[in-house]
Amino acid sequence: MDNNVLIKTEGLSKIYQMEATQVVALHDINLVINHNEYVAIMGPSGSGKTTLMSILGCLDSPTDGKYYLDGQDISSLDDNQLAEIRNRKIGFVFQTFNLLPRANCIKNVELPLIYSGVSKEERHQRAIKALQDVGLGDRLTHKPTELSGGQRQRVAIARALVNNPNLIFADEPTGNLDTRTGEEIMKLFADLWKKGNSIILVTHEEDIARHAHRIIKLRDGVIIDDFRNPNPIFV
Amino acid sequence: MFKFYEIREAFKQALDSIKVNRLRSFLASLGVVIGISFVLLMGWVLSGLDKAMSDSFKMMGVDVMYVDKHDWSGGKSWKEVRNRPNITLQQANKLIESLRNVELAVPVARRWQAEIKYGPNKYQGITAQGTYYQFGFTPGGTVEYGRFFSQNEDQYSANVVCLGWKVYETIFPKGDAIGKTIKIEGHNFLVIGVIKKQGTTFFDFIDNIVYMPLSTFLKTFGKFRRTFSIAVKAGSEANLDNARAEVEGKMRIIRNLKPGEENDFSINETKAFEEQVKVIRTVVWSVGIGMTLLSFIVGIIGIVNVMFVSIFERTREIGIRKALGAKKREILLQIIFESMFLSLFGAIISFFFTSLIAYVTGTIVIQYIPQVEFLSPFMPLDLLIIASIISIIVGIFAGLVPAIRASNFDPVIALRYE
Repeated sequence: MDNNVLIKTEGLSKIYQMEATQVVALHDINLVINHNEYVAIMGPSGSGKTTLMSILGCLDSPTDGKYYLDGQDISSLDDNQLAEIRNRKIGFVFQTFNLLPRANCIKNVELPLIYSGVSKEERHQRAIKALQDVGLGDRLTHKPTELSGGQRQRVAIARALVNNPNLIFADEPTGNLDTRTGEEIMKLFADLWKKGNSIILVTHEEDIARHAHRIIKLRDGVIIDDFRNPNPIFV
Repeated sequence: MFKFYEIREAFKQALDSIKVNRLRSFLASLGVVIGISFVLLMGWVLSGLDKAMSDSFKMMGVDVMYVDKHDWSGGKSWKEVRNRPNITLQQANKLIESLRNVELAVPVARRWQAEIKYGPNKYQGITAQGTYYQFGFTPGGTVEYGRFFSQNEDQYSANVVCLGWKVYETIFPKGDAIGKTIKIEGHNFLVIGVIKKQGTTFFDFIDNIVYMPLSTFLKTFGKFRRTFSIAVKAGSEANLDNARAEVEGKMRIIRNLKPGEENDFSINETKAFEEQVKVIRTVVWSVGIGMTLLSFIVGIIGIVNVMFVSIFERTREIGIRKALGAKKREILLQIIFESMFLSLFGAIISFFFTSLIAYVTGTIVIQYIPQVEFLSPFMPLDLLIIASIISIIVGIFAGLVPAIRASNFDPVIALRYE
């Protein structure tokens, strides 16, 4: 397999069993994403983009098909092995930030490191460094409730980065932010990409998707379009 | 299996999560507080009882037995005992002379419900005992003040007396009894000694006795139609069985009992009191166990309930943790630790609570209700350890089902949970 390939799927599908009926969320997805790509997965709600992100993000397993991450076959792993992959290879940024409300910034950012067994001192140092990298060096001990939306999303990004993942998933990262703050966050992602990170952006907004270099469009669980963005914003 | 850091981190995460929910944690552990408090208080009372009993036995001498017409354990019917022939002084002396395997044996005569007077101080209900001077060599005859009567005083029927501790305290509240003349049933006696305190709350009758030479006793209270008992000191606890066998064998001969005929006397040991204490023990136990079980059930339900509320309230948090790489077993462990801490926390509250009760009882209440003297002012350490272990087990059990539920949350769904 090509060393540059980060993600490869073969005939990936996901079917939800809803009482009597079957809902096909994804059907026969064949996809290759290389290292240091900046990809946007687009589609209206119900198109299967969130399901795709869940599977690519190792939060969920496909019903059928193969998924290779970094050359490793993911589709056959059990829950605990998936948890380990998520912990070491994947960083998540969510629309609703998903921070622990009662923990301060450092504790929130430390969380992935806790589950990979990093020592307390190193955890602390790396969390501070990650927060400084996203411009929150002066908010280390604040709790999420004491921060603005943009700042919260920065904490989430710091948390996604702190374990040096191969891949960052951003699920509607600007969905809960005003336009200006959203742009700031998107600028941050562009910077991350420049530093060599691979980013998968999940969005339904055309404006946001245009920050990516490659846009994959989904509808009714199938890829209907996959093209290079000639003029990505911020690049 | 678990890696060390997983356990350590689950432990810390659980502590953190309890800290941020102080009030809820406290309420959740209340049931356990009540349960553990019952366990501790019950154990405290029982250990007090046991200690009071064994202390009294030690004071009286665990190797001492009394050959008596009466049975102390209450195991024999009153009618049967009443119809036994008296043990005469001749029989008593015959037994004493014949015994070879004992350290000491002396006859004892008793006068129940006697009255003692010193100046205006009067005390009704003491037992006057007449015995030989050798009784002073037994633990039961060891003096605190003064001395026991001598062989001479025994021989010449001197009107001297040694007071039991309770008699002494009642008649001489200001102390200083030695050399004073008191009246027992109207007869004058010189106080020459005070016997060491031996009894505890439940056995204070032991201290309610006065001792005088047997000859003096017989002269004062009369010798006819009187039954005697023989105090026998085996010498050691190990020799007790041996001594008992000898006493029984020789006494049967003296009493002319045919083989197969039942003893018409009883050999009473300090252990006979155990029977009486057993009743109290059983009452405390059965009440305590019932209450404890009930409150533990309430306690467990309380914790299970709070843990369920807690995991559903934190569904999203659990989803986040899983998304960031928490394994099932790490979530499981965290929730179980939380539940365990809640329970242990409840136990710790009960430690303080019951220790306070014990201390107040042992220092303040005792001044108003002296009967509580058998209770220690401190909770026994072994009880605290047992209670901690119980609370930990209860906590783990209570947390098990919620923990399994939480660890099986689907991260995709949990993350979107509102």
